[in-house]
Amino acid sequence: MDEPTSTFELLGLTFTWTTIVSTLLAMSLVVLLAAVLTRKVAVRPSRGQNVIEYVLDFVKGILGDQLPSNLARQFGLYSFTLFLFLFIANEMGLLLQVKLGNDVTIIKSPTADPLIAFTLAIMSLMLAHGTGVKTLGLGGYLKNMFFKPYAAMFPLNVVEQVTNFLTLALRLFGNIFAGELMLNLLASMAFSWHGFGMIAALPLEMAWQAFSLLIGGIQAYVFVMLTAVFTAQLSGEE
Amino acid sequence: MVQTLSMTKAMPLGDMVFIIVAFLLLMAILKHVAYGPLTKVLDERADKINHDLDSAQEANQQATELVEKRAQELKASKDEAGQVIAAAKKKAKDQSDALLQTTNDQVQGMKQAAERDAAQAKQEALASAKNDVAALSVTIASKLMQKELSADDQRALIDAYLAELDQQ
Repeated sequence: MDEPTSTFELLGLTFTWTTIVSTLLAMSLVVLLAAVLTRKVAVRPSRGQNVIEYVLDFVKGILGDQLPSNLARQFGLYSFTLFLFLFIANEMGLLLQVKLGNDVTIIKSPTADPLIAFTLAIMSLMLAHGTGVKTLGLGGYLKNMFFKPYAAMFPLNVVEQVTNFLTLALRLFGNIFAGELMLNLLASMAFSWHGFGMIAALPLEMAWQAFSLLIGGIQAYVFVMLTAVFTAQLSGEE
Repeated sequence: MVQTLSMTKAMPLGDMVFIIVAFLLLMAILKHVAYGPLTKVLDERADKINHDLDSAQEANQQATELVEKRAQELKASKDEAGQVIAAAKKKAKDQSDALLQTTNDQVQGMKQAAERDAAQAKQEALASAKNDVAALSVTIASKLMQKELSADDQRALIDAYLAELDQQ
């Protein structure tokens, strides 16, 4: 994290090029994928439509397990977008990492950046809290959040809300960041010892990439599921 | 003030704003490109499946009713055919019986008539023979005996002979 970065200022806000380029690239891939798979949407599905319908069904399944049907419907688009974005973002860095000449990594997995993971977690939790207020009313929402199952639990409930936020963000960031760190270490090992490191590093790199692919999918699933779980808890659905 | 500035430097708020805005934009695009059409199509498919299931059930029921109706109709026509055949058989039997009866009657009548005719012929023949024999006998007798016998005596004698003949 002490890597060199390249930033610019606009309207008094600081922007990081890596974040912007990687996020935009991941989102472009998502849009491209969605557009290609839904080229011909019909009641009788084509092959591409089947794939994206499966993804949609999968996300709906996650929501349906946690939320009542009206909330599951409201969260459909958000969770669908979140899942596709996280999935692509998590896997992107496994295939593509671009370093500029000044040693700034311009393209990597966006979710390997703690700031992006925290931003996504904040967004999800804001939605969850907002839904809680909308469902229970402000009083009911506060009571449900802090005084359940009884008032003496208040301190623990406060801690729980904070850890919910931290774990949601850190789990995603940690998994993806560690995965890419390992890949980079293995890659640098491959180029050490006058190229002989390649022999040892190649199988390890392959195995770790396969593992990271799995991890990336699981983390996308977990993030979407935890969003649904927190929403359910905060709106009084246990 | 200096501290907050350095905080914003360490944690670039611009990135957060950018990510959230970009994500909302992505949501809008995906809604337009994928989520909206897919949800619509999925709903349409669910409707279609429901509709198809309903109509299939209806068609099934109709088919069952039709089969039942056809079976009843078949049974009715079988019964009717049986009745027609039975009636035809009865009629044919009646006709043949009537024909047989008529023929029998006719034959009987013809037989009786023939018997009557034969009896009459026999009677006539007998009567004529009696007369002929009587006349012949008288002639022969008068010729033989040169004796005139009254015709009545002669007839009595012949009758006596004939009675003897009948008894034999």
